[in-house]
Amino acid sequence: MAENDRRNQGYRGGRKRRYRDDDDFDRRPQRRRYEEPLFVQVRRQLLTIAESAARRVEDDIQSIAKTVSENYDDEEIRRDFVNISLDLVLEQPMKTPFIAGTVLVAHSLKPELGSEVLSKAGEALQKYINTGAWREVKLLVRFLGILQPVYEGDGIFPLLEELFARAVDLQTASSEDLLGLELVKIIQFTLPYVMISPATGFEAQASALLEKTDIIASTPHALVDLVNTFSPEEDKSAAGSSVISLMQSQLQGEASRGWVLKCLPRPWKDIRDSENDELKSFDSVTKIPFPEIDVPNPVPNGSRSLFPEVYLSVYANQEFDTVPSTSDISSSLIRDSLVDTINLLDFNRVATAKFLIDLDCYFTPHTFIKRATPFDRMRDIPEEQRAWKPEDVAVDAVFSQLFQLPAAEHKLVYYHSLLTECCKIAPAAIAPSLGRAIRFLYNSLQTMDLELSSRFLDWFAHHLSNFGFTWKWSEWADDLELPAIDPRMSFITGALDKEIRLSFAQRIKGTLPEPYPKLITPGKEKDTPEFKYASDMTPYFKEGQELMQLIRKKATDEEIQPVIAAIEEQAHSQGVEDPKIPSTDAFVTSLCFVGSKSLSHVLSCIERSKDRLLALGTESPRARCQIITSVMEYWADQPGIAINIIDKLLNYTILSPLSVLEWALSESVAAGTILSKAHIFEMISATVGKVTNRMRQIVAARTQPGLYEPQLTAIDETLVRERADMQTLFKFIEDSIVSVAAGSNDEQMERGDGSGDLPEDAIIRQWGRRWLRVFCRKAAVEENFITDALANATPLGTVAPERENAADKDLDIADADGQ
Amino acid sequence: MSLLAINTVDRLDRPSAYYVSKNKRRRFNDREDEKPEEPDDKLKNATTLYVGNLSFYTTEEQIHELFSKCGEIKRLVMGLDRFNKTPCGFCFVEYYTHQDALDCLKYIGGTKLDERIIRADLDPGFEEGRQFGRGKSGGQVRDEYREEYDPGRGGYGRAYDEQRQREEDEYGAGR
Repeated sequence: MAENDRRNQGYRGGRKRRYRDDDDFDRRPQRRRYEEPLFVQVRRQLLTIAESAARRVEDDIQSIAKTVSENYDDEEIRRDFVNISLDLVLEQPMKTPFIAGTVLVAHSLKPELGSEVLSKAGEALQKYINTGAWREVKLLVRFLGILQPVYEGDGIFPLLEELFARAVDLQTASSEDLLGLELVKIIQFTLPYVMISPATGFEAQASALLEKTDIIASTPHALVDLVNTFSPEEDKSAAGSSVISLMQSQLQGEASRGWVLKCLPRPWKDIRDSENDELKSFDSVTKIPFPEIDVPNPVPNGSRSLFPEVYLSVYANQEFDTVPSTSDISSSLIRDSLVDTINLLDFNRVATAKFLIDLDCYFTPHTFIKRATPFDRMRDIPEEQRAWKPEDVAVDAVFSQLFQLPAAEHKLVYYHSLLTECCKIAPAAIAPSLGRAIRFLYNSLQTMDLELSSRFLDWFAHHLSNFGFTWKWSEWADDLELPAIDPRMSFITGALDKEIRLSFAQRIKGTLPEPYPKLITPGKEKDTPEFKYASDMTPYFKEGQELMQLIRKKATDEEIQPVIAAIEEQAHSQGVEDPKIPSTDAFVTSLCFVGSKSLSHVLSCIERSKDRLLALGTESPRARCQIITSVMEYWADQPGIAINIIDKLLNYTILSPLSVLEWALSESVAAGTILSKAHIFEMISATVGKVTNRMRQIVAARTQPGLYEPQLTAIDETLVRERADMQTLFKFIEDSIVSVAAGSNDEQMERGDGSGDLPEDAIIRQWGRRWLRVFCRKAAVEENFITDALANATPLGTVAPERENAADKDLDIADADGQ
Repeated sequence: MSLLAINTVDRLDRPSAYYVSKNKRRRFNDREDEKPEEPDDKLKNATTLYVGNLSFYTTEEQIHELFSKCGEIKRLVMGLDRFNKTPCGFCFVEYYTHQDALDCLKYIGGTKLDERIIRADLDPGFEEGRQFGRGKSGGQVRDEYREEYDPGRGGYGRAYDEQRQREEDEYGAGR
């Protein structure tokens, strides 16, 4: 760099610069190289603490603490130390023990530093408690927990007791309470860190607290079943326990074994005094009071909706454990730091992936086996030396978030891209781990929550699209014999379809071994599906062709109407009950054919025929249903395009959400077999999603602060109306599917001998149950959301404060500005 | 939820160095009394992304399929060759919300579509005319002088292509 700059200092034309623009040229005179300023060094050391396996983290800790304490008077260094330490605690939780270790050493060298960190941490903690940001509270309390030896008296315990008292109040007030559980979780995930801290003699207090949390943590919350990865109805043994109940029993186990907490690093244990080279003791340091924290009563909840969390591992039931089993507290502790890291750092997936790959740097050495050790090689390691496979632990954590119910914290594509990034950084290590995860998920397809099967499908296809669509399809080849409605077969066809949507049919066909290529039918390889009216075997083929020509040359509605009328007349004379059905079919099919070139082509066709299509909806509900049938049939081989067009038709309000549901769940339900189609689930979820999104927007409008009459009533009326519509929608889904799940759907009864004992009948009923579970949950979640949000809304009838007050307010603002 | 002023690792949802430098250059040429525009200002509520390094063969449907993973797409404008009106390897994706556009930078920019690593950049908004390539031969400027062969983007750079063709013709004529 420096050399390069020097070269450019000479005569401008001396060397031809090919790639850089002249404007980029830095005209400032070059300074001589200088030593890195101390604060930059401290900053860098802190930010990269524990990141390198090549350096001893204890040395870094000591060096940072020494620099900071020796330069206590340098305000920049001091400020950086305090701020960056807390930033890291809040953003990179896996580093917390190392940051806390640094603070412990710094405090022993210069107690003022400890006080400063504590007071800043206390301020931040208070702020997060006041806003109900419970994850941040958990992270800060954990950090403060490791600093236990520097406090006077009981240190952190009174705060934990107070949090517990709030939890009890909340739980007593309502058995449905979830906030109390969140507080218990904070206590649970703090205790281990207090117990690994250099402070001693707190075992009794910890055990006492643990005894108290037991009643709350061990009572299963009513919602746990609803958000379980596996419906207990389908697979009782696979259904996991909630995170807090699991943690409770793990903590009790640890307490009885003297708090071994093997996986948590204790970097302070190996720190030596610089003077006498003896192991540092943190007992004798100056004690300071624990920061004063006020926990309001009742405690507030922040912006995130709370739900119970269920522990999921995609590496359960292997021949031997590659990840800690649920009886080991490491499973919860490692997962907790990983999950927070993943969700906090969504703004840089590359950095997050790096942390996941470097996971073994942040826990006790030898917690994990060597990176990239193949699974088969693990078998040869004697059992007592066998540790966990870091890649599996990392991948497991990402899947736990991708499969979080009812909703993941970030858009699902974040977790996709994170796994992609991990694979890019360490392909040889991560790819086989993903392979085993995929096998587990594939084998769980029948019992997994349907929403999650659908997420799995979407991730799988997207992931493969980033890696040349290579997958060992041959291992599922036998499953191609299964009936089309089997969940595994449904997955395979759904996945291939999604792959094609991200690529194109010939390409995907080329990636498939025998006997898969037959699944890519000739129809799928066609860019433009046949126009059925091109064949004179099709009724109304003449009119159909005429319509197509008219649409192609952008004819006016007056030119189109006679052809439509001709079809309807013919249909009427042939005794067709609703002549609008054949005319709509001809019109919409022609529209699809003319617009088949691309999405924007079909959109502009729709745009031009908007009025005609809109009118259909009010004239004849069955014709409206025919719009969907025509689109779905025209694009039968490329359902992705079909559901995309349906989505746009919903936006134009040519279709109503209910009409889409009616089409799928009653008109085309085909004795329930339609429920096995991945794209139908996708279409219905998207349609319902549109409704619930709009509902949430209305709720947001209704609950915004500073809203007064008469707007309040106006928005409230919309809200009440749309809420009822939403309920109707969910009711319709439930009613239609209940009969499928019970096997009492009319068409189902007519199948075969009507006994309901055909081998496929059981599968159909299972699809029904799985659909029901998903949409009943969605209904409950949305209702809950609205009720919670409205609880804090401005009551109807509130009028704007008097004019004077408003003027006062303006003045206040002006004053504030003037300051 | 984090309330930190600066993050401990870089953010991927910032305007690219290209956008910033383009703006800087403009600033250099401006008269000094004019207040330079902050690059962030125009992008503060941006809902549009410029998407580059697409294959010429990538369709609207494929783009839609991938980009709708970050939110509903309001508008998709394909970049076209100025003369042939065929796709020339870029597009504009417009979302309904700023957050969706930022999420797209974080989660989709730098991943693959149609087996090419695509690039996404926050854009102040599509304007008529911007859908056309600005290169001499109608496509994007970068496809004029490319020395490597890229089958997804019309082979070698078009300027070289012409030159090679000419040389070949002259050689034949001279013989």
